[in-house]
Amino acid sequence: MLCSLIRKMCTTSTTSLLQDTSSLQKTTSTYFNKAINNMTASPILSTISPPSSPAMSIESDFEDHDETTTTQPRKIKVMIIDDNSVNLTILSRLLNKHFADTIQLTSVQNSGLAALDQLTKDEVDLILMDIDMPVLSGVETTTAIRNNDSHSEHSILEQNLNVPIIAVTTSDAEEQRELYRQVGMADCVSKPIAIPKLRMAIEEAMKTVSTNG
Amino acid sequence: MTATSPTQAPSTAETVINNIKGTEEPEVADKGAETETETDADEFEDNGIIDHTTFDQLLEMDDEEDHEFSRSLVWNYFEQAEKTFVDMDDAMEKLDFPDLSRLGHFLKGSSAALGLTKVKESCEKLQHYGNRKDAAGVESITNDEAETLIRALLVQMRREYNEAESYLKVFYDGQE
Repeated sequence: MLCSLIRKMCTTSTTSLLQDTSSLQKTTSTYFNKAINNMTASPILSTISPPSSPAMSIESDFEDHDETTTTQPRKIKVMIIDDNSVNLTILSRLLNKHFADTIQLTSVQNSGLAALDQLTKDEVDLILMDIDMPVLSGVETTTAIRNNDSHSEHSILEQNLNVPIIAVTTSDAEEQRELYRQVGMADCVSKPIAIPKLRMAIEEAMKTVSTNG
Repeated sequence: MTATSPTQAPSTAETVINNIKGTEEPEVADKGAETETETDADEFEDNGIIDHTTFDQLLEMDDEEDHEFSRSLVWNYFEQAEKTFVDMDDAMEKLDFPDLSRLGHFLKGSSAALGLTKVKESCEKLQHYGNRKDAAGVESITNDEAETLIRALLVQMRREYNEAESYLKVFYDGQE
């Protein structure tokens, strides 16, 4: 598509296009018009070089790509829930350090009740939830979400009712994992968190979302 | 913490040094009588105090060489642990087993997150004993058995925490 755009801008339609594959991402390609030396540079470069360029955004997947381009998938909006401040701090930092390219940490909650309240107001794409919490456990909070029971006068946003929920817990025995599945959790990641396992769990959970539409 | 507290433990530095030398540690000591130790943090590695895979992952999240993020997190953990030990003492005096179990689980999570292996394992035992189960969480135990086991465990847990605290303080002091 980019090539077509460039060809339209070129004075000769037979201009050959070279693909520069030396960029950072394997899927990223930058196409340069071989006849560029015969044309004014800035019109072409202004089309293909800036990260926010529509032509670039269609093909490119640079690390520093502008998020606002229409073709760049938006980041996954994540809520994390844990009654232990140390765990919350670690998980927040971990997501910001290792998942910054795909995840936007939008909500940090220290209780199931606070999470339910927030879910009546803001849409999230993924929840990482501790299990053993006072007042409302992770299992009870998940059940409340699935049953649209916000424990308040407001309803949980419809978009949040089936949000993927991943348990993040030390309570990870098989029978407990089965319980998490039964109440509607997508997966369980053990504490202390191993980044590859968290990444895999998130990817699987988000696949389920895209599969279900 | 009072001298009669069930979680009272020997002096941190003395215990650590004695453990390394393999000598018997004193049963009761004033925690306030800590002395300076020149023991290097590396000497603690073989004691299994720290799971370095987990702790190193934490250090990797630091921005700068001063380890400000992990340091503040660890010191936050210290505060949390001290408060939790006080709560455990209170729960023990009341023989509130469910609360002891809850507190054990609570501290287990953050201990595990920092890689404090021994503390985490003791917290898990406390969680089980508080539920009137054995250390593995399988067989049921009586209230009297639970009380006896928990009293001993709290002393052990405090000792293990002191070791971990010493290790971490030596580590971060060495980073300055």
